[in-house]
Amino acid sequence: MSVFSKVLVANRGEIAVRVLQTLQAMGISTAVVYSDPDSNAPHVTLADEALALGGSTAEETYLDRRKIIDLALRCNAEAVHPGYGFLSENPDFSRECHEAGLVFIGPAPEIIALLGDKIRSKETAVQAGVPVVPSSSAWQPGESQPDNLSSEIGFPLLVKAAAGGGGRGMRLVQRLQDLEQALESASREAVSSFGDGRVFLERYIPSARHVEFQVLADSVGNTVHLFERECSVQRRYQKVIEETPSTALNPDLRERMATAAVAMAKSSGYTNAGTVEFLVDADTGEYFFLEMNARIQVEHPVTEETLKVDMVELQTRIAAGESLPLSQDDLQPLGHAIECRIYAEDSYANFAPATGHLLAWRPPAGMGIRLDSGVTESQEITAYYDSMLAKLVAWGPNRKESMERMVRALKSFPVLGIATNIPFLLRALAHPDFSSGEYDTGFVSKHDELTAPPETFYLNRAAGDIAERILQTNMIGPTGRGVMPIAEAPDPWHGLPKNVFP
Amino acid sequence: MTNRRLEQIYPPGVTALDASEAPNIEIRSTSSSLLEGTVSPYDGRSIQFLAYRDGQQIHVWLAGESYVFAAPASATRSRRAGQATSDDIVCPVPGVVIAVHVAVDDTVEVGQDLVVIESMKTEQIVKSPRAGTVQRVSIQEGDRVDRGMRLVVLVPMEKGD
Repeated sequence: MSVFSKVLVANRGEIAVRVLQTLQAMGISTAVVYSDPDSNAPHVTLADEALALGGSTAEETYLDRRKIIDLALRCNAEAVHPGYGFLSENPDFSRECHEAGLVFIGPAPEIIALLGDKIRSKETAVQAGVPVVPSSSAWQPGESQPDNLSSEIGFPLLVKAAAGGGGRGMRLVQRLQDLEQALESASREAVSSFGDGRVFLERYIPSARHVEFQVLADSVGNTVHLFERECSVQRRYQKVIEETPSTALNPDLRERMATAAVAMAKSSGYTNAGTVEFLVDADTGEYFFLEMNARIQVEHPVTEETLKVDMVELQTRIAAGESLPLSQDDLQPLGHAIECRIYAEDSYANFAPATGHLLAWRPPAGMGIRLDSGVTESQEITAYYDSMLAKLVAWGPNRKESMERMVRALKSFPVLGIATNIPFLLRALAHPDFSSGEYDTGFVSKHDELTAPPETFYLNRAAGDIAERILQTNMIGPTGRGVMPIAEAPDPWHGLPKNVFP
Repeated sequence: MTNRRLEQIYPPGVTALDASEAPNIEIRSTSSSLLEGTVSPYDGRSIQFLAYRDGQQIHVWLAGESYVFAAPASATRSRRAGQATSDDIVCPVPGVVIAVHVAVDDTVEVGQDLVVIESMKTEQIVKSPRAGTVQRVSIQEGDRVDRGMRLVVLVPMEKGD
């Protein structure tokens, strides 16, 4: 007998697909919601039932709590899985689900509210005896800047959204004269992303490692940790490459941080899957609590691959009131796993988001390779939502072998029509600092060579020759979408017979 | 070496090196608009490629890198009304204009914020690349914009009256 008869997935993209796959494997009927631009997206095709939200922007679709709850009730769902992002850490949504008689697969609303407030969550960490990064009280637009706002913290510092996450509403500020503008801009982005414009200042630790611990807690008082994930390769404060185990931890530090993570979960009264994020000072070996995320993380697959657990299944069972089927001693990680986020972005243009049609999307396969994808060939990638297309995960018996598998997989992953960060990922993996495991959150900004246009001239030459050959041999496809009709074009293919064009 | 009729438009800033020998290209299969094959660029190794002809553009994937080629004429002559000239500040990303910080006749300095675009839930600030005077603002708050679209026309200081 399944834990729920039907679950509605209130998300899109790869995480919606990921959650649907587990729910279906558990014998649970599935429903999803979708926006107009997503009407042909993979999560819509995969679900047993797909319910139109109507509209395009995130605000009028995946962030519309009323619409989603109405649809969940109308399709007789018993529970809602929020995925990550969107409404996953919105305490109002969690509470409104409960009030409507729906089980929210995640923590209780008051826990989400507590942890979602980065300022209150830090206070909770202090009470649990967990070290924290020094930070200011909250500021919002219209308030004057208290004189001491930045004095205790010093420069450089980070402006962060109190309701933040995923790098949204975050700014690095070097000088006092740039502070006001950064506060305004971060606050605006925070309103747009989280509906809450409060921001605060935090000491910036330049050569830090970002290491997080996965925890799971059931409603009868069992809390376990599922070891760490190293997430120091970031661009625009968003993670790009994650791995486990972390090269920054020794067994003693790992044990202390794991104990702190469990203490944090217990002291906040946490249930379901959560992640305790820390900064580790690479120079001193000190660690500081950063925040606790009350949702499934994007990078959860590396934990799943080394521990052979299904995080979504455990989340669902905990939400249904079951106790954890695993004790801490049952959790013994095996080998090494690494995840690369495939973003639709131009790494040669400061990671500018890219949109358009996926003309070709040919994911790799093979031993130890896993792809969590939310897109399919010929799909249109719009500017409405996040630019992450998929996550490629490699597992190996050790770090060297999982990295080799990842490199081979990335090299055999053709994507045409939309710029992706795959060339950047390949260079990052090949970089000596990454291979040696001696990298921190400054890795991407420190190494310009990771984002410089390619200089392998023989490959550029070969690519150009291939294009010439296709031109010369009159091999043509259908007229592309969004390009000028040939009749209007000013004869760009001079020298070619006219009849090559359709 | 044949005369190249195609211009590489992506990745940017790359100049192809002349090679004495042209690589051996074998096209193995075609399905609708996709072409698959192998190329042996220089040392006898053979590397797989995938290509797509999208109207006037040819997309080529090779060894983890994606390239886009177009006829030079189409790259230069396809400029229509609303597309960029040298005084134009163009949009770096597709998205929505959430703030316009300048108005016509404003004098701006290097690095000054001109326009803020929200794309894929992230703010992108378009800063002025040079000092100048704003001659025209082509967009307003709430407008949906595409990459390459003109946002602001800026007359450089030297040319200003």
